[in-house]
Amino acid sequence: MTQSGFTVDVDQNQYLPEGGRDVSAIVTVTSSADAGVPAAAAGTPASAEIIIIDCSGSMEYPHTKIAEARAATAAAIDVVRDGVWFSVIAGTNTAWPVFPPDGSMAIADASSRTAARQAVTGLRASGGTAIGQWLSLARRILGAYPAQLRHAILLTDGKNQHETPDQLQAALRECEGVFSCDCRGVGTDWEVGELRTISTALLGTVDIVPDPSGLAADFAAMMRSAMGKQVADVALRVWTPQHATLRFVKQVAPTVDDLTVRRTPSGPQAGDYPTGAWGPGESRDYHVGVEVNPAGVGQEMLAARISLVAGPPSAAEVLGQGLVRAIWTDDEALSTKINPLVAHYTGQAELADAIQEGLEARKQGNEEVATAKLGRAVALAHQSGNEDTAKLLAKVVDVVDVETGTVRLKKKVEDVDEMALDTRSTKTVRVKKAQS
Amino acid sequence: MTAEGTVTGGTCPACGEPVDAGDGFCESCGTELSPPVVSTGMPGYVLECPVCSVDPSTPPGGITADGYCESCGRKVPTGRDHAELDLGPLAGVTDRGLRHQRNEDAMALASAQTPFGPVAITVVCDGVSSSPRPDDASLAGARVAVQVLLAAARRDEDPAEASLAALHEAHEALRRLGTPSQAPSATYVSAVIDAAAVTLCWVGDSRAYWLAESGAIRLTTDDSVAEELVAQGSLTEAAALASPQAHVITGWLGADLAKPQPHLRRFEPPGPGVVLVCSDGLWNYRPEAADLAELALPAALTDPLGAAGTLLKFALDAGGMDNITVVLAPFPLARPQTLPRRTAQ
Repeated sequence: MTQSGFTVDVDQNQYLPEGGRDVSAIVTVTSSADAGVPAAAAGTPASAEIIIIDCSGSMEYPHTKIAEARAATAAAIDVVRDGVWFSVIAGTNTAWPVFPPDGSMAIADASSRTAARQAVTGLRASGGTAIGQWLSLARRILGAYPAQLRHAILLTDGKNQHETPDQLQAALRECEGVFSCDCRGVGTDWEVGELRTISTALLGTVDIVPDPSGLAADFAAMMRSAMGKQVADVALRVWTPQHATLRFVKQVAPTVDDLTVRRTPSGPQAGDYPTGAWGPGESRDYHVGVEVNPAGVGQEMLAARISLVAGPPSAAEVLGQGLVRAIWTDDEALSTKINPLVAHYTGQAELADAIQEGLEARKQGNEEVATAKLGRAVALAHQSGNEDTAKLLAKVVDVVDVETGTVRLKKKVEDVDEMALDTRSTKTVRVKKAQS
Repeated sequence: MTAEGTVTGGTCPACGEPVDAGDGFCESCGTELSPPVVSTGMPGYVLECPVCSVDPSTPPGGITADGYCESCGRKVPTGRDHAELDLGPLAGVTDRGLRHQRNEDAMALASAQTPFGPVAITVVCDGVSSSPRPDDASLAGARVAVQVLLAAARRDEDPAEASLAALHEAHEALRRLGTPSQAPSATYVSAVIDAAAVTLCWVGDSRAYWLAESGAIRLTTDDSVAEELVAQGSLTEAAALASPQAHVITGWLGADLAKPQPHLRRFEPPGPGVVLVCSDGLWNYRPEAADLAELALPAALTDPLGAAGTLLKFALDAGGMDNITVVLAPFPLARPQTLPRRTAQ
């Protein structure tokens, strides 16, 4: 980890009209391509990986599901780098360690990887689904190892039926900050909202793997990405002036993720928002909205200072910094200019909301709202050039006019298409930065 | 602002040897005794937030290295936002005003004692807001020009030739700051006041006036669209100033001009009065010489710094739409001070 490993760029229109209060900025955080290997005590692995496999009875239907899950786990194990702590656990309405069977973690090398693959071939499917139990076991195992980067891959094919939502929430709260988790749903019997709650709380990704045969490639890719992470527990520290209100802090690229409620106070007028672990050359955009007390025309105010910090709040290392400014002017040509990046991401966030609200309305049988929301989504996806989302939308609605967002709901929609659209609704596209 | 090397009590501040009131340099060690002063501002920012320090609802915070109040977030002023310079024979004040984010005006003052009597020198530059780094442009121009003018005065050179040379050097300094497509630019006006006359040299629309009980006149003409329209007889001055083109200037210093076309004027005061050199932040509100004389006199005859402050307050009260710079030099000149010079933030 190097001090200068990150850049923080702020894109905004800093000019406000007389009496203006709302300051909006897009903050782009980029880690350098050659950010060093994470610092760790000599002989201590820097990373710990855990694979959580759903072994509930439904994984036998069709039988290929559990077979592909075993193959996918083996593929992920193959990608674990030498010297990294790893383990595999299985989950039903309870959870147990598969490898190492004593609930410890193994240090990856050729022989431990072979042993792990061997253990995975013995996995059979039977029983229920209690994801909170799985996460709790993962937390107990990972928490016992002082690795900087602690990460899990969670695979399920069903709903969390054998515990209450409160039990899952309680387990999640304990896991927050201990490890990050990428979630995958296989087939179409799982709940998008449920997995999204887990991946959001644990700063990971969520996706659908419609066909079990796609699991191995997906698992290997996730593990490769996890192996690439080098800086752990990075947070956005946002300072705002007295009498100002931080309206929101959202990640807006590569996916929309509202961090506003994730604030941890970190000093006078400052709070930290978790961003998880970073790999080299990674770039993410954040949208920050601040309401300030207006100053006079001609005055300048620092509306927010955005610092990227790593380490414990008491002794955090500042990795980079950017300033969100406000300047009051009576020049309307300046104050009315809309920043293209802010406009773009405002649209992308609205796109995600429109899809999720539209699909929910469709589920509830409210066709009018569903048509309006999904139509709006079609128009927004088109305007912003979000082609992937536009393609997913076209499987759920018939597009009459893309410009105005006039659509008809399709009579028959495949579950997999609806779930894919829901799961990937938060994926955003970036725009080329305007010259400022 | 800089006032280093100021002579105190008739001894050289560097070596302690006795020096003559009029000496430009110490005869013993060569230290410059009455160097020019320039409105560069103190490096860094003020130490407390001018808003939070008087607002009971906000706890006062420190000032960050990049110049923001840690409590309310406001950008705090730099020394250059407001500077006052007083050399005795002449004094000036420059201010950000109320509507601009920074002070893009600059002023430089100098005085010298020659065998023919005292000489007072001032240069005022107003950075062109539509050019890049106008604040750097104005400061570079004023700083270079005053040195040329002071050196010439100490050598008793012709003030008219010196004035053209100083403007030329200022232009070269601005050319070094930029390129023809990216040219930091500024207006320029210099005044060299000696026992007999006032020598003025300028481009752009910063002005000089003669203010006296016996009659006040404007000494410079503007390089501006408004002035050209008035000169052609197509508009009255009031109508021209009210037009949106009024402040479009037709002359300036900067890398986008191969050769500036300066104006030169020698004016012999008919009696006692005051030379006023100012940027348009002042004269916009009172373009007529008689009106400015009414505001400045009689205080300016004896207290140029106080009167400059009065004119600044007038411009701020009138709206402070632009940066404001006011330099006043009572005529005939007082002997240059060799006692401590008054400088204030």
